[in-house]
Amino acid sequence: MVMTAPTKAGTVPAVTSRSRTVRPRWIRSLMSVLVWAGLGLLVIAVLYPLLWMVFSSFKDNREVFDSPWGMPGRLRWENFGKAGNAGVVRYFTNSVIVTSLSILTTVLISAWAAFGLVRQKIVGGGIVLGLLLGGLMLAPTVALIPLFGLLQNLRIFDTYWALIVLYTAFRIPFTTFLIRAYMIDISPEVDEAAKLDGCTPAQTFWRIILPMSRPILVSAALLQALFAWNEFVFALVFVSNGDLKTLPVGLMDMQSRLLTDWPVQFAGLTMAALPMIVLFLIGQRQFLQGLTDGIGK
Amino acid sequence: MTSLNRVGIPLAAVVSAVALAACGAPSTANSSAKQADLTTPKEKSGTLTMVTKFADPKYAPYFVDVTKAYEAANPGVKIQLEQVGDQPYKDKIRVLSASKKLPDIYFSWAGDFANKFVRANLAADLSSVVGPDTEWGKTFSPAALKAFEREGKYYGVPIDLDAKYMAYDKQAFAKAGINSPPDSLETLLADCGKLKSAGYTPIALGNQYGWPAIHYMTQLNAYAVKPDTMAKDYNPATGAFTDPGYVKALEQFQSVVKECASPSANGLSHEAAQANFINGKAAMHYLESLEFLALTTKGGAPKELADSWDFFRLPAAGGSPGDTNALTGAPDGFMVNAQSPNAALAVDFLKFMTKAQNAQKLTADIGWLSPVQGSATAENSFPQLQSALADMSKASQFAIWLDTVTNADVANAYLSGVEGLINGSTTPQDVIKGVQDAAEKAKKQVG
Amino acid sequence: MHVVNRWRSWAWVLPALTLLLVFVYYPIVENLRLSLYSWSAFSAQPTFVGLDNYRTAAGDPVFWRALRNNTVFAVTSLVFQVGFSLVLAAVLEEFVHQRLRGILRTIYFIPAVISITVAGILFSFLYNPQIGLLNRLLDAVGLQSWQHSWLGEPSTAMWSIIAMSQWQSIGYTAILFVVAIQRVPREFYEAARIDGAGKIRSFFSITVPMVREMTTLVTILTISGAFLVFNEVMVMTAGGPSNSSQVLGTWLYRNAFLNDDMGYASAIATVIFVITLLIGAVQIYVSRRRRIEW
Repeated sequence: MVMTAPTKAGTVPAVTSRSRTVRPRWIRSLMSVLVWAGLGLLVIAVLYPLLWMVFSSFKDNREVFDSPWGMPGRLRWENFGKAGNAGVVRYFTNSVIVTSLSILTTVLISAWAAFGLVRQKIVGGGIVLGLLLGGLMLAPTVALIPLFGLLQNLRIFDTYWALIVLYTAFRIPFTTFLIRAYMIDISPEVDEAAKLDGCTPAQTFWRIILPMSRPILVSAALLQALFAWNEFVFALVFVSNGDLKTLPVGLMDMQSRLLTDWPVQFAGLTMAALPMIVLFLIGQRQFLQGLTDGIGK
Repeated sequence: MTSLNRVGIPLAAVVSAVALAACGAPSTANSSAKQADLTTPKEKSGTLTMVTKFADPKYAPYFVDVTKAYEAANPGVKIQLEQVGDQPYKDKIRVLSASKKLPDIYFSWAGDFANKFVRANLAADLSSVVGPDTEWGKTFSPAALKAFEREGKYYGVPIDLDAKYMAYDKQAFAKAGINSPPDSLETLLADCGKLKSAGYTPIALGNQYGWPAIHYMTQLNAYAVKPDTMAKDYNPATGAFTDPGYVKALEQFQSVVKECASPSANGLSHEAAQANFINGKAAMHYLESLEFLALTTKGGAPKELADSWDFFRLPAAGGSPGDTNALTGAPDGFMVNAQSPNAALAVDFLKFMTKAQNAQKLTADIGWLSPVQGSATAENSFPQLQSALADMSKASQFAIWLDTVTNADVANAYLSGVEGLINGSTTPQDVIKGVQDAAEKAKKQVG
Repeated sequence: MHVVNRWRSWAWVLPALTLLLVFVYYPIVENLRLSLYSWSAFSAQPTFVGLDNYRTAAGDPVFWRALRNNTVFAVTSLVFQVGFSLVLAAVLEEFVHQRLRGILRTIYFIPAVISITVAGILFSFLYNPQIGLLNRLLDAVGLQSWQHSWLGEPSTAMWSIIAMSQWQSIGYTAILFVVAIQRVPREFYEAARIDGAGKIRSFFSITVPMVREMTTLVTILTISGAFLVFNEVMVMTAGGPSNSSQVLGTWLYRNAFLNDDMGYASAIATVIFVITLLIGAVQIYVSRRRRIEW
């Protein structure tokens, strides 16, 4: 989906009749103040809960109860240790494993399919496109119950593979279209040149097209990461073993185990959120760029 | 050729998808009632899987200790123990059952909760090893065994004795001018008024997951409805809930909440409410004898409370038609997967867990009363625990928790209905109507 | 040779297609079939009941409540994640100069980066009547009467969840709008200024029409997200109290795994399927119209 300028030559959307909007100075100042106050309030609304989470991780139960606004009395690092023992580290690792593997499989399989659709004359290509299109409209929750039986029969129930396979399958339509839209823009002359050099289609793909598609592949990877990291329903139902649970489900489990041990729960939440925030802050330019490139298309 | 292909291939795809779908009915439990061989194996080896609901750091260590002890005594055996929280256990066990991954040993509440495993041939018939005439069975209190009996067969091994009592802070009562625990519901409501004037929250109620209120209803139902009627209604095949006593019980609960607890109880967890009681902000707390340890210094309670609390049964209203000597409570137990190839080994482990030494350890370590007779002594149990045990033996019958004794639909209708009662969004009539509808649905499913 | 090549090209799409057919298409079809049975994890035999499960849904107040909750979710999200976000993006682009803009954008985006579960649990602590910030805040400014047990009362539970969802997503959609606004050629704004239009007027006359495509995209994302919501509700209230915050997804889960009624759950799933299908069809139709090349 490419943003296009209006196609009517040269016309600017008519604004109004030629009346000047003159606002008295005090209204303009008021607007300014309101806007800045609004922005500021938004900053507080965004940051304060997160800061509260971090500060509370260092408190103990009594402090959390008695002085929610205040700073912790002393820095109780052991809360983080307890949270780690309660499983946060394990859940985090599981999420990392499942997410990265599913990124790999999704992007690769989608890129193959996109390349095939764009460059190779596939018999019944229209049908394939139609199936992919249909896949876009099918929601994961709907498949929940039948997948039960299916995953059991395939013997991947309660394993990493259950999630990896599902995360891939349900994201293939979107990712394939994403990559395809980009590949269409790559000039066919590139392929011609490669063929003249004696490359097979597979070689063309791996050596030329794929590297050229890097921007969109990065976008696809980021979007997949966001999806897989947050995915909840499948992770809740199809992974039962406490050692294999991903972060979203594991945190919820931890909450039901550590019922009134507030500080340790806060510590767990902080440990789960901090890596993502830090990663984001470091690579925010690439992150936002990749994200918006993908959506923009 | 091309156009045929264009149609043919996707058509084949769709047809095969449908064919795949058509073959194979929804996966349900096995219909074969296999009689598992439970004789003690000569060679004890293999891997046992076990799931409990005791992830709470107060209780978990006991089970870890027992499994480790068994592994040490039988080097060829490995036990994979998984412990989850109380609430997550309810859906986890269903997911496991539906995916045919039910572990060899699993926890079960008494009542229809256990019966549904029996109906689905997922619970091994343990009558030959733990029935009341067997050597092992004789070590248990008969009432505890009976909780897991169905149609003359015994399916579960009881692991604890549990009953629901109203604990009260003696100092708070003294300050409010109350001389003795209330002996009727009306007196209780009046006492709540006195406690409020003295600056206490009368009863600490935290109903976040819905079951604490259901425990109140269990007791009130037992008082308000005749036992025969109640037994008939709790049986999913014959449940009707048309007796006016049920509505009366709901109204009684409503007044308890109004006078003694707070409408925001739904937002508070049971544990948070308990903390309120332990810290002296509330005067009473309805809890299970399993939880008594938390009120002692060993369990972490401050000395002021630990030294001055006692308990009484939730009193009945005057003129109650039901069994006024019924006590809310039930043993918890473990069941053995009937489809498991390790059933005999599982039984052997359960025997180990409930032998006298380990039963005493249960009481000493985590303050639970064991169903094994004679396991609670003066040395390993504190005074309130002993009085609870004595009181339990005086009860005419156990009123099993309302959310496990009935079928899941009825239980959930009660759970969400009573939550609504607390915050004022439903009336008792609405609640009982929801329950009646659910009972109708249950009849169709079981029948 | 020619024939072999024809089929060899299928190798490229085969992995994708296989996964799609097996794990996406087959379950959807199977779900339709399962909804015609009454069964659970514990039933000995599944019994065919035809459209009974759908009749149950039609007569089930919780089902309608869930549907209503999803709709309220969608509408509220539209207001905030499309309407308010667009305004926020425009403000960021117009009022704020370059350096501060980047910082603010980053800050507003942070909630979208932390996991939904983390945000959900954090907010359930925020809403906690005993230790939570919200009630304390109200207390501090003297509004005790406004205090509630936010997640424990049917009248406030759903709204509390919706509020948390907006907190998390406003920054995300605002960034998308920022990108779209940045692609609007500056000459339009210049011309408008010369014509005498103020900031507000040019917002409505230029910005809004020019980011139409992005608005449509975000609208569709928001609406389908609202009907598929599961994570936030499950973590914060699991659908309670007294089923007041159930959404279709959680009601499905509850029936399958707590009420022992999988047939009914499948029926609910079918309803979700139809709804998302409609939304998806609208999306395809709308984007087809705008696209110059497909």
